[in-house]
Formats: sequence, structure tokens, C-alpha cells
Amino acid sequence: MKDKVILLVEDNADDEALTRRALAKNNIQNAIVVAHDGVEALDCVFGTGSFKEAPVAPVVVLLDLKLPKIDGLEVLRRIRADTRTKLLPVVILTSSKEEKDVVNGYGLGANSYIRKPVDFGQFVEAVRQLGLYWLVLNEPPPSGTPS
Amino acid sequence: MTLPLERKIQVGFGLALAIVLVVGAAALRSTTATVESASWVAHTLQVRADLEAAFAAVIDAETGVRGYVITGDSAYLAPYDSARATLGPLLAQLGTLIADNPVQQHRLDSLQTLIPIRFERLQQTIGVRRTRGTVAAGLAVMSGEGKVLTDRIRELIAGMRDEEGRLLARRSATLAARTREVRIAVAGGTVLTLGLAVVASLLVGREQARRRQAEAALRPTQARLEHVVASSTVVIYGNEVTGSSFSPNWVSENVTRLTGYEVAAAMDPAWWLEHLHPDDRARVLAEIPALFTQGRLTTEYRFRHADGSYRWVRDECRLLRDASGTPREVVGAWMDITEHQRAQHALRESEERHRLLFERNPLPAWVFDLATLKFLAVNDAAVRAYGYSRDEFLAMTIADIRPPEDVPALRATVAHTDASGGAGGGTWRHRKKDGTVIEVEITAHPLAYGGRRAELVLAQDITERQRAEQALRASEERFRALAASANDAIVSADSAGRITYFNPGAERLFGYAATEATGQPLTILMPERFQEAHLAGLARYLATGEAHVVGKTVELAGRTKDGREFPLELSLASWKRGPDVGFTGILRDITERRRAEAEIKARTAQLEAANKELEAFSYSVSHDLRAPLRSIDGFSQALQEDYTARLDEEGRSHLRRVRAATQRMALLIDDLLHLARVSRAELRSAPVDLSTVAQGVVAELRQREPRRAVEFVCVDQARVRGDPALLRVVLENLLGNAWKFTAQRRPARIEFGVSQQDGATAYFVRDNGAGFDMAYAEKLFGAFQRLHSAKEFEGTGIGLATVQRIVHRHGGRVWAESAVDQGATFYFTV
Repeated sequence: MKDKVILLVEDNADDEALTRRALAKNNIQNAIVVAHDGVEALDCVFGTGSFKEAPVAPVVVLLDLKLPKIDGLEVLRRIRADTRTKLLPVVILTSSKEEKDVVNGYGLGANSYIRKPVDFGQFVEAVRQLGLYWLVLNEPPPSGTPS
Repeated sequence: MTLPLERKIQVGFGLALAIVLVVGAAALRSTTATVESASWVAHTLQVRADLEAAFAAVIDAETGVRGYVITGDSAYLAPYDSARATLGPLLAQLGTLIADNPVQQHRLDSLQTLIPIRFERLQQTIGVRRTRGTVAAGLAVMSGEGKVLTDRIRELIAGMRDEEGRLLARRSATLAARTREVRIAVAGGTVLTLGLAVVASLLVGREQARRRQAEAALRPTQARLEHVVASSTVVIYGNEVTGSSFSPNWVSENVTRLTGYEVAAAMDPAWWLEHLHPDDRARVLAEIPALFTQGRLTTEYRFRHADGSYRWVRDECRLLRDASGTPREVVGAWMDITEHQRAQHALRESEERHRLLFERNPLPAWVFDLATLKFLAVNDAAVRAYGYSRDEFLAMTIADIRPPEDVPALRATVAHTDASGGAGGGTWRHRKKDGTVIEVEITAHPLAYGGRRAELVLAQDITERQRAEQALRASEERFRALAASANDAIVSADSAGRITYFNPGAERLFGYAATEATGQPLTILMPERFQEAHLAGLARYLATGEAHVVGKTVELAGRTKDGREFPLELSLASWKRGPDVGFTGILRDITERRRAEAEIKARTAQLEAANKELEAFSYSVSHDLRAPLRSIDGFSQALQEDYTARLDEEGRSHLRRVRAATQRMALLIDDLLHLARVSRAELRSAPVDLSTVAQGVVAELRQREPRRAVEFVCVDQARVRGDPALLRVVLENLLGNAWKFTAQRRPARIEFGVSQQDGATAYFVRDNGAGFDMAYAEKLFGAFQRLHSAKEFEGTGIGLATVQRIVHRHGGRVWAESAVDQGATFYFTV
């Protein structure tokens, strides 16, 4: 289970720390790769840029929507457009619960849409369920095999 | 001269004959006399010539003898010989010539004696000469005896010649006298004859002139007569009667027109019977004996025309008898009465038609006597309409069907109509048998009816019509008043596009006075560039009924009297009255509206821009305001968890307050975002069953707080049209509030229902909760306004603001009724 890398796309350092804490509190020990903007996120997913030398293959992407350079929805669109990653589970983890973001997110093929609650306790609970589902219960698609 | 012309001519001829006879006799006598005289003259001349010749012969003989005497040459004796030879016959001839004259006879006898004697002397001389020679002969000659003889002969001849000359003169005178007589007779006769001829020619000329005059006078009469017969429709004919059979002997030429046959054909004895209609033949033949008994016959029958058609003819004939009473001839007249028959038939039909027209006329009609006013005839409709039977009518006068007060006017009118002989009419009041008085319109025409001067009357009940007309007038006046007082311009036009009505509003709008505009074409009210399209549209509408403008409201441009253009709104209606088409348009100056619209457009654009900004702002708020809160809360909790041992109770309390504040802040942000979203979200319209929504909301609340025991009463099927999501928000807020404020009540009761408020359907949520003081009702729907402390009831104070925003966006209103601790009722309309 530990070899299953989680890609956390998050530009806010506080949120990154809190997410890490929430994951830790839920005993999710998986390696966490953090991308701080959309470009980094795509590099990580496709093994380009700074990830070219040491590629990682995340089993799940926790994607914030409001990102520098390339925003989250665009990142999602590109992941879904590529045959290698189109089955990669992507969970949108964002502050917004604007209806249009939710609709667009699911429309572009997000697997889940989770709003970060302000209450940290609730956040921990959400992360727990999230980790349980995507890292434990969910049977991931055959890696790298285009369908 | 009173003798007839013939007598005159006879007398004239007798006279002329007599004159010619007289003149002829005279001329004959004269001619005979002349011929006689002329022969006498010739006779005389012959006698004288013979006398001369005889004397010449004597002289010649003497001369010859002398020559011989002298010369002895016997050649000289030739004349002597020839004279001797000729003298004998000469004297004999003379003897016959003068045999009738004894005097001359006597002298001739002397001559006949003397001349031979002379010749004897001469013979002697000759002998002397011959025998005795010259001298002797000469002597003998010179004796002179010969000379005496010769002289005597000369005397005798001269005497005879004179006698003949005298005779000639006498006879010539007789001839001249005769000739003169004849000339006179001939000239006189000629003059007389000429005179007679002149008289005769004068007489004859005069007679001829008279005759020509008479002929000229006769010619037109004759031509007229011929023309009459030829052009007459009546054919004249004659039939010779032999025993009992007829044979045509004459027929006028116009028989061709009547029958199509030539005269020659009509003269065929069999012709008439052959062309007689078979159905009429027996009857007509049976009538013929009457001709012999009565001497005349008139009958009608059908006769076949050459074109095959049958014509009705009338045959009138009469039998002529001779002195002994034997029938000799039938003469008759024959005329085509087909048209007459047809006219008779048509007349009968027409009379029947007119009778029906009267009897069956749907309008009450009657005929009344102008003198007595009595009804002479009434039709069925009158009987039906007035309730009187026909007999009752005929026993009344027209005054009896009037209200008594109208009778004097009626009598006056009838008297006037009678005097003028004109047709009457007008509107009258009639009274029916049941006493009902009706208004009728009368049409009346004078006519002779059964020899009486009468009037035919048609009466139309116009009571209803008048009522309708009055109503129409009232309605028209109302509309006219409406049009006159309307702010908008109202203009009517006829089918030619000419203005027929122009209200004061139109006067204000266009600057024309109504009197000025009326009759003008509508085009004066529009800029030139629209005029062509207007005229084409009008023509198209009249021709095809295809309307582009009629029945709609369109925006156009108008033009005032002073040429100013302005935008206007026109709603145009067309109306039809009989064949007339008219148009009425309501026009409004929309300059101001156009300006307002432009302003609204600009503002809308501004608002949209502002909305976009707000949206971007809200988006940032939802993301960026919450992130720090999450940090504050998250790290506060980290502190609580990881450093709780190092904090005293006060420190831990502070951390709890920090975390509570962040929760509250997060709630506020969410509600604010909600409010913003409600304000700007696109409003959908769909049927919504509020009852179902309310039940769903309450079910959720029960689920959230299962321990609460709340009685919920809900009306069924409160159906409205609106945005389903937003209306759910309304009910979520109101029911949520009710839920919240009934927390302390036992039992808690919430009701969703419908009621009529000020004529509108209002939906309400009622609770028996804490209620509020109506003094603060104003503040109820403001954002962040709270009537309760957070300690009493949690909440952000944005819920009712959101409700109000949604209700307003639906065009409704929201209000509340309450009192402290009396519960509250929130009403809204959609």
C-alpha cells in the first residue's frame, strides 16, 4: 500500500500541511508527491519536466481547482485527454462549491468532488473516507494500459 | 270651254281636217291650172318658134335664089331646096297648134296660100335664070312682085306672132292669179292649221301637266299603300271559291315574312292545309262551314313556318258573293299572333308572380282605399305580424292600427299623398291587436285597385333596429368620447387611404387640425421614404387581404406638419362595413420610450458587467476567504491536539473561541455566497408543486433532528410556476426558521398552506414558535439582520434576505405576521 503514490496538487502551503496532517491522522502512509501548480501536476502525471528523471505513477490525484499557471479543470481535461492517464482516478479537493465548478469537474471526468470543510475535524473525516475508498477499496485500472 | 277634253280634241281634229281638205283642193286646182297655163305658154312659144322658122325658111329661099341669079351657081339653090322641104311640115304643125284659135287659123290659111305662091315665083326666077340668063332673071326679081309677096307673108307672120304674144300675156296673167289664190289658200290654211296645232298642243300640254300632277299626287299614296301592305304584319289574301273548294288567287308579298314561303309557294292550293298544325286541322276545317252561313270567320291556329317552327296565326276572312248570291271569293287577313300569345302567357304569369309577391312577401303589406282609408287587401305577413285576421283587417281602416294620437297626422299625410299622387313613406307607429305599439318604416305606392284610388303599403317593423341604432349611437358616442379624450393619436382612414377621423391626440401629435387633416391622404403623416411602402401595403391588403401591419403593433416613423420626424408606435386595425374597408390606427410618440430603452440597454450592459465582476468576486471569496479560515481552524486544532498539555485552561478556552469564530465565519461566507448566487442565477420557469417541496424539506429536517417532535400540516397540491431550485430555497429557509423557532414548544406545530390575501394567492408557513415583535418587522428581511441573539437561536440573518430576493425575482412579495411568543406566519406570493 505504501508504494501507491498520491499526487496532491495544492498551491497553498497551509492546506498542504493540513492535508498531510489529515492523511497522517488517518494512518495513510502512502508517499505524497506535491505539485504546486498545474504545470507541475501535468509534469508529474506524464513524467515530464522536473519529473522526467524520477517519474512517479500516482494512483490517485487530489486536485485543487484554483491553481497558478494552469487551473485545475484544465489539468483534469488534459489528464482525461491522454490515453495513458484517462482512467487515472482524480478527486477534486477544493474550497469552492460553486455549482458550475462541480458540474464542470464531473463533466470533465472527475471521479469525486470534495469540498474542503473549514472545520478541520470534518476535513480529517473526509480525507479518511477518501483514502479508504481510493487507496484501499478501489481496484485501480490496469496501470498504463490504454483501454 | 266646258266641253270635255275628248270632245275638244274631236272638234279640233274635224276643223283641222276641213282646213287640210280646203287647202288641198285649192292647191290641186291651182296646180292643175298652173300646169294648163304652163302648157299654154309652151304652146304659144312653140307657135311663135314655128312661125319664125317658117319665115326664116322663106327668107333663106329668097336669098339662095338671088345668089343663084347673080352667080348662076346652083350651089346657092340649096337653102331654097331645104326651105321648100321644111315649110310643108312646119305649116302643118302650125295648123294643129292653132287649130283652137279661129283668128290664127284664118291667118295660117292665108299664109298657106301665099307661101306656095312665093315659092312659085322663085321657081320661075330660077327657071328664068337658067333659061334666060342673069339679066332676065334679075329683071324678074326687080319687078318687085316677089317682094310684095314676101312682105305680105312677113305681115301675116308678125300678126300671128303678136296674136300669140297677146294670148301668152293673157294666159300668164291667169296663171299668176291662180298661183296667188293658191298661195293665199295655202298660207291661210297653214296659218289656221298652225293655230289649231298651237291650241291643240296647249290643250294637250295642259292636260298632260294635269295628268302628271295627278299621277305625282297618286304615287306616294300608292307607294304608301304598297309599303303598308308589304310592311304590315297582316297578310292579305284572296281565294277563289268554286263550289266548296278554294284556290288561292292572290296573296300579299309579306306572306314570306309570316311563313317563310315565297308567294308562288303560297299560291299552291294544297299549301295552306299542309302547313296547318295537325292538332288544329280538324277544328279549323270544322269551322269553315260557318263562313258560308255567316259570311265571315275569325279563327286562330298554328301554322308551320318554313323554318319548321309553328307560329300562332289569326285568320279573319269574309265571303264575297256575286249578284245571284253564289259564293265567288274569300278575302281575308292573316296575322302572326305568336308574340301576342306569348305576351298573354307572360302577362298571366307575371300577374300570378306579383300576386304571390304581395301574398307571400315577408314584410306586412296591404292596400288601402285613399278615400275611405279602408283596407282593401292584406297579405299573410300582415296577418301574422299584427294579430288581426284577414276579415278583421278588411273591416278596419288604416287609422285603426294607429295609436289614437297619431291619427290626425295620418289623415293629413294621406290627404297630401292623395292630392300629390306621389308615393308616401316614412316612419310611423302602429298598434297591433294586442295593443303593442311598434315603430315601422313605411314604403307606399299609389295604384288603382279595383277601380279605386288606393295605395300599396309595405311596413317594416324597425323597433328592434331603432333600439339597436340607439345602442349603436350611444356606443359610438362613448367611443368618440374615448377617442377624443385619449392621449394617443387615433386616426381612421378609408380604403383610399384618406383620413376620415383625426382625434385631438392626433392633432397634438402631428400638428394638423382635424379639419385640415380630414380628407388628406395618410401619407402626409409619414416621411417620404415610407410612403411608397405604405401605398403598396394598402393596395396589397385591399387586393389580397394579406396584412403586414394590420392587427399588429409596429414601430414606424411619423412626420409632423412642420416636417419633424419622430419614432412612433402604431397598432392598426381594419374594419369592414359592407363593401367599405376602413382602418383605424392608434399612434403613440415613442421618442421618450426609445430614449428610455436605450438607457435601459446601457444600464443592463453595465449591470451585466457588474454581475460578471461580482461573480468573479464571489468565486474568489468562496476560495480565498475560506482558505485562511481552514488554516486557522486546522492549526488551532493541531494546537489543541499536540500542545494541550502546555496550555492552561484559559489558553484552551481561547483556542475553542478561535475555532468557533472560524466556523461562524465559514457559515457567513457560505450564506453570503448563497445570497449572491440567488440574486444572479438565471431564473427558470417550470411547474412546481410547493406541497411536495415543503414535505421534502420537513422530512430532511426530521432526519437531521430525529428527536424533535413537530406536527406538520401541509396543504395539497399548491402548484405554481417558477424556478424549482430557488423556490426550494425559499421553503428551506422558511420551514427551517419555523423548525428552529419552535424548538422550545411542546408540541411544536408547523403549517404550510394557501390563502387569499388582497385578491392574490399567498402561500404561507405558520409556526407556533417564539414569534417576534412586529415593531421590528421592517428589519426582518434585511441581510445580517437578526431579531434573536445567536445564543437564543443560531443563524446568520441572511436566510430571510435570500427568501425576499427570490420572491421578488419571481415578481411576488413576502411579508410576515407575528407577535412575541405567539408564533409567526410568513406569507409569500409567486
